[in-house]
Amino acid sequence: MENITEVLQLFLATENFVAIAVGVVIGVTVGSIPGLTATMAVALALPFTFSMEPVAAILLLVGIYKGGMYGGSITAILIRTPGSPASACTLLDGYPMAQQGEAKKALKMALYASVIADFISNIALIFFAAYLAKIALNFGAPEFFWLICFSLTIIISLASGSMIKGLIAALLGILLSLVGLDSVFGSQRLTFGNYNLMDSISFIPLLIGLFAIPEIIEFYRKKVIPHLRAKASGAGVSFSELKGSLKSIVRGSLIGVIIGAIPGTGATAAAFISYSDAKRRSPHPERFGKGEVEGVAASEAGNNGVAGATLIPLLSLGIPGDVITAIILGAFMVHGLTPGPLLFQENLPLIYALFLGIMLSSVILLFVGNAAIRYFSLIADIPKSILFPIVLMFCVYGAYAVNNDTFDVWLMLAFGVLGYVFNRTGIPAAPFLIGFILGPMFEDNLRRSLLIGSNDLSIFVRGPITWFFIALTLGSILLALYRFITSRQKAKQSASEPGAGA
Amino acid sequence: MTKFHSTGGTLIKDPWDVVAGVMLLGFSLLLLFYLVPNYIGQPPIMQNPMMSPRWLPNIVGWLLLVFSVLMIIQGVLIADDAEDNGRRFERGPLLRFALMALSLIVYAGLFEMLGAVISGILATLILFIAHPVRTWWVYGLAIVFPAGVTLLFTGIMNVPLPMWPF
Amino acid sequence: MKKILNALCTATCGGAVALSLSVSTAQAQDWPTDDVRLVVPYAPGGTTDVLSRRVADLLQEELDTNVVVENRPGAGSTVATGRLARGGRDIDHTILMASPGHTIGAAIYPGLTYDPVEDFVFIQNMIDIPNVMVVPADSPYNSVLEFVEAAKEQNMTFSHSGVGSSIHMSGELFKTLTETNMTAVPFAGSGAALPALLGGDVDVSFENMPTVFSHIQSGDLRALAVTSAERSEFLPDVPTLKEIGEYNLDQFVTTAWFGLIAHHSFPEEATAAMQKALQEVMEREEFTSFVEQLGAEKGTIAGDEFKAFITDEVARWDEVATEAGIRQE
Repeated sequence: MENITEVLQLFLATENFVAIAVGVVIGVTVGSIPGLTATMAVALALPFTFSMEPVAAILLLVGIYKGGMYGGSITAILIRTPGSPASACTLLDGYPMAQQGEAKKALKMALYASVIADFISNIALIFFAAYLAKIALNFGAPEFFWLICFSLTIIISLASGSMIKGLIAALLGILLSLVGLDSVFGSQRLTFGNYNLMDSISFIPLLIGLFAIPEIIEFYRKKVIPHLRAKASGAGVSFSELKGSLKSIVRGSLIGVIIGAIPGTGATAAAFISYSDAKRRSPHPERFGKGEVEGVAASEAGNNGVAGATLIPLLSLGIPGDVITAIILGAFMVHGLTPGPLLFQENLPLIYALFLGIMLSSVILLFVGNAAIRYFSLIADIPKSILFPIVLMFCVYGAYAVNNDTFDVWLMLAFGVLGYVFNRTGIPAAPFLIGFILGPMFEDNLRRSLLIGSNDLSIFVRGPITWFFIALTLGSILLALYRFITSRQKAKQSASEPGAGA
Repeated sequence: MTKFHSTGGTLIKDPWDVVAGVMLLGFSLLLLFYLVPNYIGQPPIMQNPMMSPRWLPNIVGWLLLVFSVLMIIQGVLIADDAEDNGRRFERGPLLRFALMALSLIVYAGLFEMLGAVISGILATLILFIAHPVRTWWVYGLAIVFPAGVTLLFTGIMNVPLPMWPF
Repeated sequence: MKKILNALCTATCGGAVALSLSVSTAQAQDWPTDDVRLVVPYAPGGTTDVLSRRVADLLQEELDTNVVVENRPGAGSTVATGRLARGGRDIDHTILMASPGHTIGAAIYPGLTYDPVEDFVFIQNMIDIPNVMVVPADSPYNSVLEFVEAAKEQNMTFSHSGVGSSIHMSGELFKTLTETNMTAVPFAGSGAALPALLGGDVDVSFENMPTVFSHIQSGDLRALAVTSAERSEFLPDVPTLKEIGEYNLDQFVTTAWFGLIAHHSFPEEATAAMQKALQEVMEREEFTSFVEQLGAEKGTIAGDEFKAFITDEVARWDEVATEAGIRQE
């Protein structure tokens, strides 16, 4: 009883509410600008938290984190420029929707999916933190290795059209991800002695280059077409559409929670896994990538599901799963608190006050997001001839901002050209991205397992978690083969009956 | 691949695929026999070949080789109409495209020299002319936006963009 | 954003305090005449970044000017350091938060364009964080000697946060000094390395104190030794490696240090002004409590002493890197 009043005392301070609201607003705004990531905003906000009360300080940062996770999807949908890496998957369906005049629907769905996923993620944090933290601890290198293998199989389902081209894209992605210093020996790999490449290729210039730039190149390559004033504001999400996507949202959130609880995988991977899962289960997978609202829902649920769950290893083990949680860890320390097993014993009221604040942040995200959509969706009405030069400017400034170096501007333009070539040859960009994200994780965990097990291969089948993911991987491959064969047969049948197929 | 094709006349069904396949084939050979041996260092002692920094690049190289061959074969045999629709479009005048390329060069080449504001204004103006934009007040945006956004980045977000040519 | 945050800060938690503090130190000075840039050679989020932001926040009150933190990550801090060495605009108002990456980087990165000692002015070492030799709670080894003897018989694995980190190099140094069989297992940062240690996948680690302190307290990890010259006041019962002495361990003294450096043309009066201001910063209660939270010690050396320390460190890591075969030619 005494605890409850203490929790409420800590929580019911105006400062907390202001901190959350300001945090979410900053997060959504900064997250939506390409190149400016929530990570940068959190780092910048950190000094301001030094003089605040601990609860408000952490909530401000968490607010930015959650807002940024959603904010990235706004520009991804409207101008095919992921505001943050995790929203790269959202643009696969979000941008086609915007082009078809359904920008508002996509934005709203992204918001609702984000908020629902956020909520589920928070629940997991509050009620299952101890349990999930235990799973995270049992997740060693071999378990990780199989999780990555399973994640790699999603390339198969992401490769719309030609399977061969999808696999080529993934291989190129893996190859580029290996540029840099070798993680075991520290030797150089394909850096050609260039210092800028030693920390491997920066993700954000790659992302902006791959998606935003080709769109701009193509626009100026094409014959001038008169601007169609599509009613971009359009309709929102109907209740039945939300209901239709709800299963995908919940599944995506759970995928996000599990990925988030395991330090080091990240929201981008979660979004893609969730997306491909939704695509696989959908009765009409061929619509994915062409403006399927469920695709937007699934990927946003995946990346926002991570946002609450990354706080699980942070609070219960003191382990930051990504850069933002590392900064939040710093904020805890500045206030004389050390996240970890002892925090729950010594500062339980504070933890619960934080939990209440985090729950509140999801609600605030709903309102802030709705307001943001109202103004942002106007972007879709701007003629491309005016919009694209400004987008390009943001892209260049944003790429520079990553490392404060012109090299990344060059890199972004190079990836822009590559992305354009991909478009022309029909090589899909999504598997390339997956390869780029998962390639190093695959190699690192393979080698880590070999080092830990002293080259004994039995470490790869050492426990139930490995067996589970091996089964999933095999199942996923077999399912893809089965689908491939049946679709072939169908194609043959329709081909042999003239008229039926056309 | 829902349609049935009977384009028996041409020898190669999808020339784009063949060209891309050949280029990828060349790249994978370059990777396997020149880049990997020359640009990836290998420690002298290695207990397990899988530990080598060259292991994954080599595997990727060989797979790329196999798939590029498959892509060439596919390009020769099958025309993929479903995808083609998105790939073909009516080309605009060359000048328009050249001006766009010029603006990219302005950003990449002159960003550090001229500073963010001037290169931003220059590139945006070039792009407006390229389209061409005929509403005069829009050209004002070409000055307002680069200046405003540069201030946003440097003043508020602490990103040290190169401001002016000095 | 700064403005919004400032307003929030002022409105809710008495930003007026900060304002009143900054007024007191304002006086006629030759330096600084402009905003001071504090370059962080790593991405946001690490210890270096958080420390730098804490220091910058306090420093701007002491110097009565803006101290702007700027992240320039790349190649284990050598990109930012190389840039600093090249000089350029505002070089007399640019400082850099150096860390073991400065000396280790000089040892392992090929073709550095600068001299890690002569090209810089060494202003002040801010903090020293000891590394702790930790084993999982269910490890059979209860002392360093037990561990070394076992490691002579069988191969041991140690986790580290990335090639060239002070954690990695401490492990390599231990291996070299004790002539034992140890395999380095790399992870992407301390956060990723910790679960492997807690879960018992690796045998030992030489982690930074702040990362493992709460786990030592909770009993999930067992501290065998600290790597600093003196025992840490936070783990008074844990011996130093130097104390243990056997197997050449008396030579094992290393800490993760964080100190401010500048270009060699940095004006002398600026160095003096910085040192004076930093002394004030280091005496501030906020700084003290931050240092305690990290389980660290305040840095004591500045100027020439600091420079001599760097010279020794560069030579030492050079040797270890060559021995361990992680040196790039």
